[in-house]
Amino acid sequence: MSETRFIREALGRHERELVAYALRLTGDLDRARDVVQDTFLELCERPRAEVEPKLAAWLFTVCRNRALDALEKEGRMGPITDDRGTGSTGTDPARRLEEEDTSARILHELGELPEREREVLRLKFHNGFAYREIADITGLSVANVGYLMHCGLKTLRSRLAPLRRMEVGS
Amino acid sequence: MKIPQDGRQEDPRLTTYALGELEAVEAAVVEAELAASEDGAREVAAIRAVARELEEALAETPAEGLSTAQKMAILGNDQEQRRRDPAQSSRRPWRGVMKVSSLAAALTITTLSAMWVTESGPFRDTGVSPFMYEVGGGSSWSWFASEETRSPDPSVREELQGLGYLGDSESSSLRALGYMDGVSVIDLNGFGAGTGSADPLAPVRQPTPGLGEEGRPDTEAYDSIRENEFRSVAQHPLSTFSIDVDTASYANVRRFLSEDRLPPADAVRIEELLNYFRYDYRPPTGGDPFSIDVEVASAPWKPEHRLVRIGLQGMEIPVADRRPSNLVFLLDVSGSMDSPMKLPLVKKGMRLLIDQLDGRDNVAIVVYAGAAGMVLPSTTCANRPAILGALELLSAGGSTNGGQGIQLAYRTARAGFIEGGINRVILCTDGDFNVGTSSEGELVRMIEEEARSGVFLSVLGFGSGNLKDSTMEKLADRGNGNYAYVDSLREARKVLVEEMGGTLITIAKDVKVQVEFNPAEVSSYRLIGYENRLLAAEDFNDDEVDAGEIGAGHSVTALYEVVPTGVASEVRDVDPLKYQDPSRAGAASGSGELLTVKLRYKEPDGDTSRLIEMPLVDAGIGFDAASDDFRFAAGVAGFGMLLRGSKHAGGATMREVHRWAREAIGPDSGGYRIEFLELVSRSSRLMPDELRDEFEALGYLDLENEE
Repeated sequence: MSETRFIREALGRHERELVAYALRLTGDLDRARDVVQDTFLELCERPRAEVEPKLAAWLFTVCRNRALDALEKEGRMGPITDDRGTGSTGTDPARRLEEEDTSARILHELGELPEREREVLRLKFHNGFAYREIADITGLSVANVGYLMHCGLKTLRSRLAPLRRMEVGS
Repeated sequence: MKIPQDGRQEDPRLTTYALGELEAVEAAVVEAELAASEDGAREVAAIRAVARELEEALAETPAEGLSTAQKMAILGNDQEQRRRDPAQSSRRPWRGVMKVSSLAAALTITTLSAMWVTESGPFRDTGVSPFMYEVGGGSSWSWFASEETRSPDPSVREELQGLGYLGDSESSSLRALGYMDGVSVIDLNGFGAGTGSADPLAPVRQPTPGLGEEGRPDTEAYDSIRENEFRSVAQHPLSTFSIDVDTASYANVRRFLSEDRLPPADAVRIEELLNYFRYDYRPPTGGDPFSIDVEVASAPWKPEHRLVRIGLQGMEIPVADRRPSNLVFLLDVSGSMDSPMKLPLVKKGMRLLIDQLDGRDNVAIVVYAGAAGMVLPSTTCANRPAILGALELLSAGGSTNGGQGIQLAYRTARAGFIEGGINRVILCTDGDFNVGTSSEGELVRMIEEEARSGVFLSVLGFGSGNLKDSTMEKLADRGNGNYAYVDSLREARKVLVEEMGGTLITIAKDVKVQVEFNPAEVSSYRLIGYENRLLAAEDFNDDEVDAGEIGAGHSVTALYEVVPTGVASEVRDVDPLKYQDPSRAGAASGSGELLTVKLRYKEPDGDTSRLIEMPLVDAGIGFDAASDDFRFAAGVAGFGMLLRGSKHAGGATMREVHRWAREAIGPDSGGYRIEFLELVSRSSRLMPDELRDEFEALGYLDLENEE
């Protein structure tokens, strides 16, 4: 595989999930795109052998650092994120209803979690990273990732449970 | 670890274990504990359930990508990089471009002119002076055309078309290009726009037919489609074709457009676009499994022509009346399936299907990679956990020996054959068969052989970049099957839940259509789409000749563009016949009938066909007076013709297509027609010609000079 093709495939595979990730960190699409572009430009400059074995984790790490840099430069403290209300993609009314039952609700609850829990949950369940990789990306310890994951899932379950019971009851 | 009775939720290790993140040694300890604790096991199941819900919810969230200019900047930079002194490597020559707002940037890149270029064929002198340059490190090819090609002259396009560079390409035809500062870049590498370094790069060799894999954009394969021409009624009074209920092309086109790329012309099969949608045709009455609904009005892209719509509506079969089924899932778990949009989506899709099944049904799972294997012998759907468990455990890896898998799957299906029931192999793959019976021809023959056993086939295509569309379509065609492309969970739901009856239950097979035109009313006609379903006139009455299947609730739509007598014909002339007199009209030619539609079909397990006939009289209504379904279908056909670069598109533009369809949305259950409108808008932004008009209107034409 040629170098160019390597970059192109990296782009094709990770572009969207990186923009989504950067968007959650920065809260602004244009800024997110710039961050991701910078990330890929940095990829072009790295020796391929160095980054290829753990490409996805590398891209997320760089992307995260650049997003935080950008925020810092603007003097903003923390990322702005909003996971709520983004669950529905389709126009199918029946499906939207169904989603309101499950997807939209779970995304809403995800948006209510503390920022760190939300981030590790997304990295795990949206981007498919293992604990070890999430630890590398976020700079947390593996144990810490495990703890955040546990707390996040627990909260989600407890918040979804009462709604579930109501459904069964009605 | 002790699993506490009350405070168990406080121990993160159980979560870690449930998610498969615990080290082996520790995991063994937890497992031992769990064996003794019902609560613990329930807890693990609950954690996994919420994790899965979260995964599914997140998988459906939409994601924006980079702008095209940004992608070009990255790729341009990458090529720069390797030609530059490493010491200068921090320079980023493309930073300027990215600052263009995304709309303006997208316009800049695709404006001025565009050509469709195929990778095959020698590069002859076309009068547009194309030069070849090698960009960067040697394996990425771009074609730069000089200033002279700058004007977006349609005649240039036609010329190229005539020389075989455009349109009907041999294999995957490549399109996409951008114009920057008088230098056009035709990117052979698959992005929506070219890689855009305007740097003068060293001119190098011409492309050779044997250009290696590396130089190609991706490895998707489409068979070339030669568009149907107008045929003279005097020469060819009969038009015969096999029905096709596949919908794959539409979902695939949607996938391209969602990535801001125009699909290759050969990926656009108009009949599959038409049949993606539901139409409200008269349901069948009496004994026939389907009804015929014919309508005629003027063709919106050429008002002096008539457009004839032939609609077939298969009977609905209520879930409760469904016969028991014997399904074999044949799942490709080779290395190429290891991507979120492939195997994981296959699993989700199959889970959706299993949710529709019950104790009447049996499911077996056969997988293939380097070798084929039975993962789950035929199991009743009353035992859902066993099926879901087996499905869950699958992972992707290895090469692809599809032939072996097909044999094993059919053997399994035959062993569990239910007389009078639904016997079907469901093949989920990206279509890349590279080991064993690898030639497409052999696979197709094998499927054809296996289909005689009375087992039907559904082919579900997944993934992108390596999609072997041509192979999959042929397998479904020859294997008494249907073919759908699944690009999302939503599409999986459409194919496997909403249209489960159509996908699984065959109500008639070998359905053929033959139309006889009345020379007193029609001078010539053209079948829109169905190019690879055409049959010889003699095939119609020949029950040995295989044709398409129709499923429960399926509707099939075919359109003919008809040139009435007295209107200038578009047929290429042949000399008048010396010995026969085609003007001698038959007995019914004075009936005023435009045409007669004839249909033949067989019962799903029958061997002899039945015939239905229906004549059509043209009441002469205009396009605006036609039904919603008619106008919507006309819009879909127009969309397909424009994407294919058809010379028969007449006055159609994406904007017009949008209007025809928009005014004919109807109840639109499922929201699919609304989605179609979105695709039309998106295409219009990507179509070079239309873009140019818009561009001029916006006064953007000089934009890149100012940059």
